[in-house]
Amino acid sequence: MSMEIILVQTIVNGLMVGMIYVLMAIGFTMVFGIMRIVNFAHGEFYMAGAFLFAILYGSNNLPFFISVLLAVGATALLGLLMERIVFRKFRGNELNGMIASVGVALILQNSALLLWGSSARTVPPVISGVLSVGGIVFPWSRLVVIIGAIVAVVSLNLLIGHTRIGRAMRAVAQDAEIAQVQGIRVDVIFPVAFVLGVSLAAFAGVLMAPVLSVSPFIGLAPTLKAFVIVVIGGLGSVPGAVAGGLLIGLIESFAGTFVSASLSEILQFLVVIAVVLLRPQGLLGRKEREA
Amino acid sequence: MLDVRGINVAYGPLTAVRNLSLSVADGAIVSLIGSNGAGKTTTMKAIIGLKPVSGGEIYFDGERIDGRSAPQRVGRGIALSPEGRRVFPEMSVLDNLLVGGYSQRDKAHQKKTLDQIYGYFPRLVERRSQMAGSLSGGEQQMVAIGRALMARPRLLLLDEPSLGLAPIIVDEIARIIVEINRDIGMSIILVEQNAKLALNLCNEAIVLETGAVALSGKGKDLLASDYVRRAYLGI
Repeated sequence: MSMEIILVQTIVNGLMVGMIYVLMAIGFTMVFGIMRIVNFAHGEFYMAGAFLFAILYGSNNLPFFISVLLAVGATALLGLLMERIVFRKFRGNELNGMIASVGVALILQNSALLLWGSSARTVPPVISGVLSVGGIVFPWSRLVVIIGAIVAVVSLNLLIGHTRIGRAMRAVAQDAEIAQVQGIRVDVIFPVAFVLGVSLAAFAGVLMAPVLSVSPFIGLAPTLKAFVIVVIGGLGSVPGAVAGGLLIGLIESFAGTFVSASLSEILQFLVVIAVVLLRPQGLLGRKEREA
Repeated sequence: MLDVRGINVAYGPLTAVRNLSLSVADGAIVSLIGSNGAGKTTTMKAIIGLKPVSGGEIYFDGERIDGRSAPQRVGRGIALSPEGRRVFPEMSVLDNLLVGGYSQRDKAHQKKTLDQIYGYFPRLVERRSQMAGSLSGGEQQMVAIGRALMARPRLLLLDEPSLGLAPIIVDEIARIIVEINRDIGMSIILVEQNAKLALNLCNEAIVLETGAVALSGKGKDLLASDYVRRAYLGI
């Protein structure tokens, strides 16, 4: 294989993984920005989405779009339930909320283990074939992940930037008390933001299910990646999550292709330490307001 | 229209407001003056519903509202321009104003209100796509007042609108407060440390000291009172 082809494929892989991380990190950072909860159970919703999709699409051969809708919808309901039962009580209480989220992560992971067993499942590809541009081939299975993730990020951006509910979410993230005086019910905004974040994670799981294999344990890695990315990009910053996610995805892909996967982990955490030391608010984050 | 009857408000064991009563007639401007910590902002928060009362009652248009949430009170026609302005710093001026109109579902109505606000504060038109956090203090105050007006309130609570502003901007804001009151007949409660300004603008004034009403009367009369002149006007 020529260098050019390897390079392009490395970039495509990096973008694919990076966009998945972006989806994970945006949900993670949104839940933090609005509810002030560091949700270590975030990746378990990715796992749930992937599993449901594997069962619906892979095992029961339901049509693709229906499988996506059902998998994301059911995970969103699970998120709503968790918000009601657990997270609602901890909003604004960063330490206890984080501890509770670890508990939720373990409960969800072990429930999946009980329900579906520990063996990994594979999901048939949603699309096969390649796109060939100027002699360089791009497998459609990976492009679909990138395109799907971009569509989700752009839609979310439109929702947050240009709708009534989006403005309300931003207002609550920036000053919850004053948001109430604008007539915004924060008790409505919190579950909306949580379910939206969880749905993005579920959608990421759905996209990745055909590329990787699915098991109850696949949630942990994306949670940690989301955490790392959000530290790099700035907690609460959506543009930071996009930049950080793509950066980590590309580092992983390039280090993995040209050197070794373990170097990629080392590099990522060196970036994190450097950011924490030199720019604690993250690359695109804002400084914590002094109360 | 607003009737506050003997409210108490406490922060933990500390009582911030004791047995405070006040009423605001339709179309009136009532000023609340007093030094730092006298309970002015706490009273405003109690009226809008950000701070629960531990005793007493609040009526708005004859309906008891002290058990209602802040968003419910906004829906009934009360709005607050808070102390320290508290604009949403990372939202554009226009988005800040639109958030203020959150409870107004009617788009055409909202557009009309927006134009009205741009009429009062023409400077906000030029600034509309700028982040509110990047504006000067005076402009942020305009955003805060405009945001409150977007809810089309019948009672507007203005908490320290002159705080930290240059005298020329204070005059401009004062002129607009009077205009809003005159044009729309909106009732206003004005909290101010700048007692001279507050007493000049209002029909009635209340002097708060350590969480209780020390003195009340017509603005003009209080301006002439020896006690007020010595304690608050430094004359």
